[in-house]
Amino acid sequence: MSSSVSDFVTLVSNDGFEFIVRRSSAYVAGTIKRMLDPTSNFAEAISGRCVFNNINGIVLEKVCEYLYYNEKYKNAKDVPDMDIPPELCLELLMASDYLNGQWSSGRKFMKDRTRAEEFRSMSLADMQTTIA
Amino acid sequence: MANTIIRGSKALGNSNDAIDFDTKWAVLASSLREIHTKNASMLSFEELYRNAYQLVLKKRGESLYERVKEFEEAWLKLEVRPRILAVISSALLVGNRGPTAMTTTDEKRVAGERLLKALKQAWEDHNICMNMTTDVLMYMDRVYCTDNRKPSIFTASMAQFRDHVLRSPVPAHGNKSIATFLYSVIMDQIHMERDGDIIDKALIRSCVYMLEGLYESEEEEEDNKLYLTSFEPEFLDASRRFYEGEGKTLLRQADAGTFCRHTMRRVTEEQDRCRSTLSPLTSPKIKAVIEDELIRNNIREVIELQGSGVKCMLDDDRLEELQMIYELISRVDPRKEELSRAVQRRIVELGTEINTAAMNNSQAQPTNCTKQDSDKAEGDGKASEKPMNLQTAAAIRWVDDVLQLKQKYDTVLLAAFHSDQGLQTALSRSFTDFINVFERSSEFLSLFFDENMKKGIKGKTENEVDALLDKGITLLRYVQDKDMFERYYKKHLSRRLLMKRSISMDAERQMISKMKMEVGNTFTQKIEAMFKDMAVSEDLSSNFKKHVARLGDPDPKRAELDIHVLTSTMWPLEAMAPTYYDGEGRPMCIFPPQIERVKHGFEKFYLDKHSGRRLTWQANMGTADIRAYFPESKGKIKTRELNVSTYAMVILLLFNDLPPGESYTCEELQARTNMPLNELTRNLQSLAVAAKTRILIKEPMSKDIKLSDKFFFNESFYSQFTKIKIGVVTSGNKVEDQDERKETEKKNDESRGGSIEAAIVRIMKQRKELSHQKLITEVIQQLTTRFMPDVNMVKKRIESLIEREYLERVEDSNRPAYRYLA
Repeated sequence: MSSSVSDFVTLVSNDGFEFIVRRSSAYVAGTIKRMLDPTSNFAEAISGRCVFNNINGIVLEKVCEYLYYNEKYKNAKDVPDMDIPPELCLELLMASDYLNGQWSSGRKFMKDRTRAEEFRSMSLADMQTTIA
Repeated sequence: MANTIIRGSKALGNSNDAIDFDTKWAVLASSLREIHTKNASMLSFEELYRNAYQLVLKKRGESLYERVKEFEEAWLKLEVRPRILAVISSALLVGNRGPTAMTTTDEKRVAGERLLKALKQAWEDHNICMNMTTDVLMYMDRVYCTDNRKPSIFTASMAQFRDHVLRSPVPAHGNKSIATFLYSVIMDQIHMERDGDIIDKALIRSCVYMLEGLYESEEEEEDNKLYLTSFEPEFLDASRRFYEGEGKTLLRQADAGTFCRHTMRRVTEEQDRCRSTLSPLTSPKIKAVIEDELIRNNIREVIELQGSGVKCMLDDDRLEELQMIYELISRVDPRKEELSRAVQRRIVELGTEINTAAMNNSQAQPTNCTKQDSDKAEGDGKASEKPMNLQTAAAIRWVDDVLQLKQKYDTVLLAAFHSDQGLQTALSRSFTDFINVFERSSEFLSLFFDENMKKGIKGKTENEVDALLDKGITLLRYVQDKDMFERYYKKHLSRRLLMKRSISMDAERQMISKMKMEVGNTFTQKIEAMFKDMAVSEDLSSNFKKHVARLGDPDPKRAELDIHVLTSTMWPLEAMAPTYYDGEGRPMCIFPPQIERVKHGFEKFYLDKHSGRRLTWQANMGTADIRAYFPESKGKIKTRELNVSTYAMVILLLFNDLPPGESYTCEELQARTNMPLNELTRNLQSLAVAAKTRILIKEPMSKDIKLSDKFFFNESFYSQFTKIKIGVVTSGNKVEDQDERKETEKKNDESRGGSIEAAIVRIMKQRKELSHQKLITEVIQQLTTRFMPDVNMVKKRIESLIEREYLERVEDSNRPAYRYLA
């Protein structure tokens, strides 16, 4: 149970890479937030360790980077673009769709999906650049 | 956007069609079971989420959604419902033991609480499970449900809870649903609380939360909450019945005060209940129920309750209860009609009592007096003076009583009715009503002022005087016949001024400015003119004195003259000399030569200055200071200063010329003075009959004055005072007797006629042509500040104006109308 109060959580990729990130940053991703929600008491919430069977280390690293990036610039203006290697675009896109179930803490689907959209559109834009 | 991505991901993803729906569902289903049995800690969120994710990606979202629903339905039906039903049947067992075994409230409550607890538990479990399920199936909700416009799985499962738990029938009870039981349990509990038991508010509150969390439809609109659609109406209905019954019982058993207190308590109680036990949403509705059932339907009877209603509250000054009544009635009737009716009725009742008392006081005495007259004729002298004073006292009493009543109701208005505008108007109306019903109100009010100006304000501070006058003015506000009041006021004022009876001229002036503010300039015009006359007269007197001094009149015995020249139109001369004011040949009093000389001197002096005026001497209003020498027993002459009326002075001076020991008969005196007989008798009474001021000796000694009575100078008169005031019976201001009153009314009607005509002419001059109805309305409107014109009188005046060709009838008009003739 100690992990539920811990400020850090561990994200594990399917190829065994472990990323220890701030809990608050991890909560940027809706799926991770729910997964770790202490009230629902799933195994992940108890251990504070999330294993992603469909995300590899490279992508997960980028995801973690984004989580920090997102938290850092949460309320800022003129945010610098995050550097995303074109070859990762597609996989990141899928990871974002998977992880980013942007739910409010309540049961209602959040009207304001801007943050989700932001992440997706960024990826999409980058992807299009690559294709071009 | 989401669509694009998913399609993209499908196209590009490493789709493994071999992934079997059934295998994955089996995993999910068993996990859901674990969740529902609270074993979630064994489960990996990631695995479940991934499974659901993959199924949705494979376009199997719909099957997944349906399967989950099926699962939930089965769970609710097979696991949750039986548990609730079990509790219900055990509760029924308690209830059904019926009259044989004791079904105490306590047992009933415990059974009810068990059902509440079971439902609360079921609801909370369902919520937790569904929260977790929703979390796991988040991807399905987000992609499948959104795209296909299906309610989220959470919403769907809530509807299932509603249908398969709450609305499922209880087998033994036909079509009664679990919800019905729930509602009746809640109602029972609330009923217990209303009866004074203590109940588990929090428990009920959580069940209400449940009802508030469930909706009739999947759109989950606010006003479709189960609480609002099904529970609340039943609750309000039951409450309505409850309070209807309670209202009736209370009316039967309790007094008005208790009723109010109880009702107030109920109101707060229900508000508290809505906060702590039910939903704040119900608060305004249950308030309306109480207001309807307890207040609106009963307030009238409460107000009229014998022995404790508003009447008694008013009489006993139960301000607190009155305030409650006020608050209650304000809830249901912004105009507070019933209350104001009750208060008005009481005021008019009390006012009428005051009126009758005053009438009795002022009338009982004269009848007594006539009785006395016939019984013992000699007692007349005093008897005629006494009842007059009593009458005046009655008048003052009347005003005091009315003021006291007013004071009392002002306090009530302020303390209990929050100075409510409507009630204030109602109060004023009632006062106006009963004051104007009393035909002597204007006279009595004026007497009240008179009395205070003469005596009442002695030794009072400015503020007290001010307050006193203000009180009087408030009453004046209620008097409709202000012209009558003006008439009486002038009459009383003239006496005060001429006889210098007023204590404070400041107060008089203050009074006038107050009246001016209250009634208007025209009202006080004449009264102010009276004051002006007084001032002018003072100058005149001193000028005349100087004039005399300049003439160098050597006669040391010459009488000094202090004169008041009064403008006859401004002063109520007929009131000052009522008996012989017939407009023609009034008998002139014959003054003794030394006085006659002064009189001539002044007439000459005055008419020199103001030619064309006519001076009429009003001897009856005057007073004189006489220095009289009485031989003391030791032969020493003793001087006394006598203050007497002018007439008395004339009489006394006659005795100067009479050798000692001789006498005049009454008849002789009249012949020598030419004074009206009643004035003569009155003066003789005060000179010869009144015990302390017997300057004259009467033979035979009796209280009645007969023409043949002889009068001697009383040489042995003794008084310990050097200055003696010999009052005349008429000098005070008194209540009028019937004849005087009729006279005054006649005079008043005449002057009203004039005012009405003036108003008609004014209006017609401006309008040229006007219908009869409108003319009457306008006339009444113009005059209403002074008096309420009688419509018949107005009609008569119109007729008379037509006769005198000021107006003519408009011939070809369908409604009667008049035209002004220039």
